[in-house]
Amino acid sequence: MYDLIIIGGGPAGYVAAEQAGGLGKKALLVERDPHLGGVCLNTGCIPTKTMLHCATLYANASEGDAFGVHAEELRFDYAAVRKHVDKTVDRLRKGVRALMRQNKVDVKVGDARITGRGKIRVNDETYEGEHLLVCTGSRPYLPPIDGLKNNDRVLTNADILALDEMPDRLAIIGAGIIGCEFACLYACAGKEVVVVEMLDHVGGDTEPELAKVMQKELHKRGVTFHLQATVNEVDGATIKFQDKKGKERTFEADAVLVATGRSANTEGFGLEDLGVDAHDGRIQVDDRARTNVPGAYAAGDVTGRQPFAHFAYRQGTVAVQHMFGQDAICREDAVPAVIYTDPELASVGLTEAEAREQGREVKTAKFPLTNNGRYLAETRGQRGLAKAVVGAQHGELLGMHIVAPHASEMIATAAVMIETELRAPDIRELIFPHPTISEALRDVLHGV
Amino acid sequence: MATPVQMPQPGNTVEECLLVEWAVPEGKPVTKGQVVCTIETDKATFEVESPADGTLVRQFVSAGEVAPVLTTIGAVGEPGEDVSDLAPTSAAPSQPAGRKAAKEPKKEMREEPRAESPAPQDPQSAASAQRADGRRAVSPRARKLAARLGVDPTGLQGSGPQGRVVSDDVQAAAGRLTPLARAEQAATGRTAQAPSGLGGRARARDLVEAAPQEAPPEEIPLTQIRARIAERMRASLAQHAQLTLHGSADATALLALRRRFKEARSADEEAPNVTLNAMICAAAVWTLPAFPELNATFDPEAEKLVRYSQVHLGVAVDTDRGLMVPVVRNAHAMRLSELTGAIAQTAAEARSGAIDPDRLYGGTFTITNLGALGVERFTPVLNSPQVSILGVCAIEERPVPDGAGGVRFQPALGLSLTIDHQVVDGAPAARFLQALAQSIGTFDFALAQQAV
Repeated sequence: MYDLIIIGGGPAGYVAAEQAGGLGKKALLVERDPHLGGVCLNTGCIPTKTMLHCATLYANASEGDAFGVHAEELRFDYAAVRKHVDKTVDRLRKGVRALMRQNKVDVKVGDARITGRGKIRVNDETYEGEHLLVCTGSRPYLPPIDGLKNNDRVLTNADILALDEMPDRLAIIGAGIIGCEFACLYACAGKEVVVVEMLDHVGGDTEPELAKVMQKELHKRGVTFHLQATVNEVDGATIKFQDKKGKERTFEADAVLVATGRSANTEGFGLEDLGVDAHDGRIQVDDRARTNVPGAYAAGDVTGRQPFAHFAYRQGTVAVQHMFGQDAICREDAVPAVIYTDPELASVGLTEAEAREQGREVKTAKFPLTNNGRYLAETRGQRGLAKAVVGAQHGELLGMHIVAPHASEMIATAAVMIETELRAPDIRELIFPHPTISEALRDVLHGV
Repeated sequence: MATPVQMPQPGNTVEECLLVEWAVPEGKPVTKGQVVCTIETDKATFEVESPADGTLVRQFVSAGEVAPVLTTIGAVGEPGEDVSDLAPTSAAPSQPAGRKAAKEPKKEMREEPRAESPAPQDPQSAASAQRADGRRAVSPRARKLAARLGVDPTGLQGSGPQGRVVSDDVQAAAGRLTPLARAEQAATGRTAQAPSGLGGRARARDLVEAAPQEAPPEEIPLTQIRARIAERMRASLAQHAQLTLHGSADATALLALRRRFKEARSADEEAPNVTLNAMICAAAVWTLPAFPELNATFDPEAEKLVRYSQVHLGVAVDTDRGLMVPVVRNAHAMRLSELTGAIAQTAAEARSGAIDPDRLYGGTFTITNLGALGVERFTPVLNSPQVSILGVCAIEERPVPDGAGGVRFQPALGLSLTIDHQVVDGAPAARFLQALAQSIGTFDFALAQQAV
C-alpha cells in the first residue's frame, strides 16, 4: 500500500514524487513514456529553449558589426544543435531518474488505469495507494481545419523538434507563446516563416504594447504575421487562409506547425469512474490542488489553471504537502509567463486590462529601456519596454511586464514583489545592481 | 529635609520605566546604597538604591505603575516627616500612558461597587496596564517602532509586564503582514485572519472586519437566596414524582366580577382591589378542603404523609432577589376581601425584603401565577414537601360551540396542576382540577355560597 500514487511523470508528477519522498512517504510514479520529465523536459520547454539559445546566438553573431564583431562564414549547423539539445535533455532525464532513486520513489512505465478509490492497474498489476495525484498533462489541440488531420506535413511541437532537418519554409498556425517561439527559432536560423493568427495580437494574454514590440522585432528578423486571419484549409504543407481584409491567401510551406493551444488529458484512464469533476475539459481543483473526491488531487496542465511547468512544480508540491498534513496554498497571483523570443517577453501578475476587468483602480507606467544604461550598451536599435501596473490607493505592485533581453531572469524578482505585496515606496528602498536591465523594475515605478 | 528617590534614566532613549516592586516597605529604615526598588524598561531590569540613610517615608509610585525618568518616586527622611513638597506633580507635560494607567483604574474601582476586586488601595489591582479606555499600555519605544512600521500597537497582545506592549510585540506583528496588508490595516482597521501569503504572512485579502468588541461572559456569584432556591428546586425534583395536569376554566364570571370591583374602586378608593389572582386563589382554597389528598405534605425518606384541614396557602412572588413563597395562613377561612388583602400584604412584604422568615414555611398548598406574562401552560415545580401546586396561566379566547351550529369565543383560564404521584394519583387530582374549574367558572355562585 503506497502513501501516494502519481499518474504522470512530468513536472507536476516527478516534483510531487520528490516531495513525497522527502517527507518519508512511499510514492509510486506511473509514466507511460520510458522517459520521465513529461512534455517540458522531452518535447517542450527544454528542447525549444535550448534550440532558441542556439539560434539567437547565431542571429546575434550575424548582427555583431555594430559591436565590432565581424563574422564571416557563419553557419547554423542544425545537426550540431540537435546533438546539443539531445545531450541536454539526456542529462536532465538522468537527473530526474536519480531524483526518483534518491527519494525512493517506485517508478513504473506504462499506462495507468484507475480502477477504484485508491486503486490503479498498470500492465496487469494492481496497486493501492492512500492518496492519488493525477498529473496527466496536456496535448496539442488540433483545430477542426480541413486537411489538418492525417497529414504528415502537419507538425506539433514534438514532431518539429524531432526533425533531422529544418524545413526552409515554415507555416505556423497560432501566434501564442509556442507559435512566437518557433517563429523566432526558424527566423533566426534564416528560414522563411509565416504565422497566421485569429486574434488581433500576438503572444496571448500579454500587455498589447509589449506584444507589439515583440512582433516588430520578430518582423525585423523576417517573420511575416497575418493577424485577424483564419486558416481554412491545409493541403499538404500549403495553408489557405483569409486575411483580415477578407482576402483569400495561400502560403506554400515545407511544413505546417500547429500551435493553437493545448487540451488537458482527462480521458481514457478511468477518471470519470472515480467521480472526479473534470467538466470544462480539465480537472477542477481548488487552491490546495484537491479535486472533489477526497484523497484525489491533480496538478499541472491537466488542471488547466496555469499552463506552465513552474506552476506544475508548485501545484504538485502543494498537493503533496496538503495530503500529508501541511496546509499549503497554491497562490496564483505571481505566476510568471515568459516568451523566449529575442527579445524575451516576460510577464507576472495582472495586465492593465485584467486589473480593470476585476474592478480594481490602478495606475500604470511605462519605461522605455533605452533609458537604461546596460540596455543601451548591449543593444542597437532594438526596442525594449517595461510596464508596471500598481494599485491606485496603496501603490502595491499588481503586474510587471518587460520585453528585453534577459527579461525571463528579471521577472522572478517582480514575482517576489507581488507575492510579498510590496508597494512602490517599498520597492524603491531596494538596491539593484548597476548597471543591469533589472534596474528597470525600480525605474518604471517612478512613473506612478 | 528629606531626600527624594529618583527614577533613573537607564538609557538615552528611555522616557519612562515601570516600577516593578519596592524592596522596602513604607516607613521602614534604609541605609544609603541599599536597594529600595526594582525598575524595568523594555529590555532590562535595574535596581534603584537609596540616596541616603533614613526611613523610606513615602513611596510616591506604586508597584506596577510607570513613571517618567528623572522624576521623584519616593522620599527618604525622618519617620513621619512631611514630604508632600517632594511629591511628583501628576500632570507631567509628556503624560506617559503608564502614569494615566495607574491613576484611572483606581477611580473605576470605586465607582463600581459590584467589581469583584478587593479594596481600591490594593496596588496590584491598580497595577493592571489597562488604560482607562481598555487598551493596553504601550511602551514609548514600541510606539515609535509602531509608527515607523505602520502597525497599530493598541490592538496587540503585550508581552511586557502586566500585558504592556513592548517593541518586540510590534516587531512580531509587523513581520506577520505584508507591507500592503499593513497599509490596508492602517487605513481600515481590519485585522488579519488565516494568513495565506508567502512564509505565513497575512496578505491584504486576508484582512477581515475586526470582530466587534465582544463582551466577555460575566460570572455571576450566587446570592444566598439563589443558592437556596437552587437547592430546593433540585431537591423537590429529586424527591417527588412530579406530574402536571393541564385544564382550563371559563373565566367569564371572573372577568365580569373583576370589572365590577374595578368600577366600585373608581367610585370609592376604600373599596377592596380584588384582583383576578385573588379570586382564583379564593376559588382554590375554598375547593381544596373537599380534596384533602391534595392539601398535604409528604416526606419520602421518612415515608410520612400528613394531611391538613386548614389551607395555609403559599403564594409565589417574583422578587428582585428571586422567587419567594410566603404563606397566608388559614386562607380557606378567609372571605374574599380578607384573602385579597392578605395576599397583597404578604407579597409586598416579600418584595421589600421585610418578610418574617417564619412566614416562608408551613404552607400546605401553593399557587404560582404566570398568566400576566402570557404563559399558556407550564409545569410548576412542587414546593416540597407539599404534594401539589397550582400554576395559573393566561386567559385565552377559545372558540366553543354556541349551540346554534356556530362558534362563540369564551375566555379560558389555563390551569396547570402539578402533583406528587408518589402519594396523589391522577384521578383525584383531575377531580380537584375539575371542581376548581367549575368553581372558577361559576365564581359568582361560589362567592354567594361563601356569604351564605
